[in-house]
Amino acid sequence: MPAIKVRSMNRIIKKLTIEDLKAIRDNFKDPRSIGTKASILVCGGSACMARGSEKIQETLSGELQKKGIDNEVSFYETGCNGFCNQSPVMNIYPDMTLYQAFKPEDVPAIVDEHFTKGQPAEKFVYKDLKDKKSIPNRQDIPFFSLQTRRVLNKIGLIQPDHIEAYIYHGGYLGMARAVTGMKPQEIVKEIKESGLRGRGGGGFPTGLKFEICARMADDTKYVICNAGPISRSIVETDPHSIIEGMIIAGRAVGAAKGFIYVREPDNLFILRRLHTAIERARGCGFLGEDILNSGFDFMIDVSFGAGTFICGEETALIHSMEGKRGFPTPKPPYPAQSGLWGRPTIVDNAETFANIPLIMVNTPEWFRSVGTQTSPGTKIFTLSGAVNLNGLIEIPMGTTFKTIVYEIGGGLKKKSKLKAIHIGGPTGGVIPESLIDTPTTYEDITATGCIVGSGNLIVMDENTCMVSEALNAMEFGHGESCGKCVPCRIGTKVMYDKLLDITEGRGKMEDLDMLAELAYEVRRTSLCGLGQTSPIMVLTALKYFREEFETHIKDGLCQAGRCRNLSTFIIETKTCTGCGSCARKCPQGAISGEKKNPHLIDQGMCIKCRSCFETCPFNSIRIEPGVAEEVDSW
Amino acid sequence: MEGNILVVDDDAIVVKSCDSVLAPEGFTITGTTDSDAAIELIRGNDYDIVITDLVMPGIDGFELIRQINAIKPSTGIVVITGFASQQNIKDILQLGIIDYLSKPFTPHILLETITKAMHLMKKIKAIATIPDTEDEAKKRTDALNNIISEHKATPGSLLRVLESAQDLMGYLPPSVQRFIANGLRIPVSEVYSVVSFYPYFTMKIRGRHHIRVCVGNACHAKKSGQILTRLKRNLKFDEDNITADGKFSYETVRCLGACGFAPIVEIDHDTHGAIDPDKALDILKDYH
Repeated sequence: MPAIKVRSMNRIIKKLTIEDLKAIRDNFKDPRSIGTKASILVCGGSACMARGSEKIQETLSGELQKKGIDNEVSFYETGCNGFCNQSPVMNIYPDMTLYQAFKPEDVPAIVDEHFTKGQPAEKFVYKDLKDKKSIPNRQDIPFFSLQTRRVLNKIGLIQPDHIEAYIYHGGYLGMARAVTGMKPQEIVKEIKESGLRGRGGGGFPTGLKFEICARMADDTKYVICNAGPISRSIVETDPHSIIEGMIIAGRAVGAAKGFIYVREPDNLFILRRLHTAIERARGCGFLGEDILNSGFDFMIDVSFGAGTFICGEETALIHSMEGKRGFPTPKPPYPAQSGLWGRPTIVDNAETFANIPLIMVNTPEWFRSVGTQTSPGTKIFTLSGAVNLNGLIEIPMGTTFKTIVYEIGGGLKKKSKLKAIHIGGPTGGVIPESLIDTPTTYEDITATGCIVGSGNLIVMDENTCMVSEALNAMEFGHGESCGKCVPCRIGTKVMYDKLLDITEGRGKMEDLDMLAELAYEVRRTSLCGLGQTSPIMVLTALKYFREEFETHIKDGLCQAGRCRNLSTFIIETKTCTGCGSCARKCPQGAISGEKKNPHLIDQGMCIKCRSCFETCPFNSIRIEPGVAEEVDSW
Repeated sequence: MEGNILVVDDDAIVVKSCDSVLAPEGFTITGTTDSDAAIELIRGNDYDIVITDLVMPGIDGFELIRQINAIKPSTGIVVITGFASQQNIKDILQLGIIDYLSKPFTPHILLETITKAMHLMKKIKAIATIPDTEDEAKKRTDALNNIISEHKATPGSLLRVLESAQDLMGYLPPSVQRFIANGLRIPVSEVYSVVSFYPYFTMKIRGRHHIRVCVGNACHAKKSGQILTRLKRNLKFDEDNITADGKFSYETVRCLGACGFAPIVEIDHDTHGAIDPDKALDILKDYH
């Protein structure tokens, strides 16, 4: 068993061979079994961190000692489990009991029940949403069992910094195969055969991109991984998979240098994690000169921008790496032909790179075994909004939104009714409830008028006002526009103003046609992906929810009660039981009434914060059109 | 704009033109052509800003600045210089000045520089930062120089230099931008274009704790707007998004990438997630 310890960036500790790699995979004991009896895998994702993951580990350490089992039960911190809704989460190996939604103070009870009494601590295991039955095992929980976790197969189980654990799970073998046993053309061919498409949203075939770049005669080429916030989950939890994918890409196109581009320079956590991972990989001889004695050299650096959305666009990203304003430039030439410093450059996002080792270690056929003909493989989505279970999910492409929302996400929260699904991140659009059977493929999503984008799914319920969502999208589009080309710079501003007029009660019917036309033109004529996608929200909202815009304008009513000038909250005297819960919640003290008698809202004091509407257990508060503010007649 | 300004220059025309440009804007101008007299004036009065020439008979500009730093360290200094060489700029920056004007300058530039400097002084006075001692300013300029020389040879290193510089100074005022441009041998306009483009860079002073409220879609859908309203209402930020006591400043950010945990507020480097808008103010309690 080769021991690996890495201290400095410039030292190769032990250059591993393929045999070593296989030996680690086959003989290395499961890194999870560091405790002889059991190991506790405490989730260290950002959600769990915020709910006291550190405190939990502290308590655990003390509690295990107190019980005298600290020599047989050990614990370590893992990356995010993706089960963020139920945070904090911890798994107990080997039986993989999952404890969730507990407080650091509950740790002694869990330890006592699980280890002393030898049974799962009933109170803190996951309960099925429908029949409330306890499901102690992680793999039986629908949220996990309904997913197809390929890229995310290790998350929540390994220490992200632990390279042996990564190798144990089959890591770096794909790289070894590609670097030592395959010609660059063969790698490109396999990736082409797999049908992998860029996971950054555009869906450009990765194999084709590699082929274009590989054909360029330049002797200096680059590989850039865009590790923006969207793919943060992979960077945080499994950095080696990105590094491995980049090495393979480098080999395929003939590049010797790679960069991982992190958008926020002050995110020390990510930077530290990436640096450690690169150091460890180098210490094993996976990076640097003569990788696995193949004569192939490849090195990765971390590069960072200064936080703009536009720098996710590949040409803008490259300019920001060159130390310039992050302005996009027209394509062609594509970065694969002329990118960083004018050299052929592969730019892909972290999820795409993380898929590549899987294709190498398995086969293109294996990769195609899930997903659809044109969109094979899996896709990671972040699920949030009005569903019961928020978190990180990975599903075969082609799974319908219905499955995602109602099965994996556990359906909508109490009292909510599905209105739409927002997909594609800040520049994405909405898919209405009627199209919930749409499969998640690039083609089908594009057909609805939306984009796959960042893979961010927000489930919206009846409390969402589409006009104000469109307004928010335009505020984003306008704020993030780099200002280089006119349609995006001015078009988004004009749309913002029109939408603001509608939400504040100054809208006119003719604005709607103008909005639609303008959004269409901005989408059609903008130079880069940002301008081409930021009007999508306006377009889809108008396409599917036009009546809502019309009630805003004609009736002066915002049914969701989000637009202040267009809503009045009124307590239904017939159904109000006088329970007083709204009055207690009202921040203005605008609600009065005697106990057990219908209450009344003082409209002069009401700030329309909706808290009474959300609190009322009897749905006795209705929303009426807004009252026009009195204008002094002088 | 209001403010007390002392102009020191051996050339009476400069003193007079400063007076004629600045006085109509509301500044109170005192002028002298004698640097010895200037020191007496500084001892006896409180000036917000002293505008001084570098080359003067008797006590020269460098010595004058040193003396001002000793007598009234809270005075802001703007230097007028005919020799804006890199070495010269380095020397005067080391003395802890706010900005400099290279001769010849137009009334417009004078007014803009002084207005900016006055804004800055008011801000500095309001948040009662301990004024830079000469040593500290020197240390920082040396550090800035080191950053520049470290990255000078690497192409495309401007972003890294600016990041390190902002780390060092807290923000990137025009004088620092000009210093960096000179050091890297690139036009100031290019430095400014990068600083003004990326939201990470700031030309404004920030509070002791910087709050970042995410207004991305997921956070917006979970009422981050209300969090912002509540923060604004309770902390009373001014037009530069900083509180009067300089304790907190804020900005809105588009997406912090942890949407599963919306709504998110980041204070300094701590992430706070799943915040109930009603309890948004509670998270500020741990920051003093």
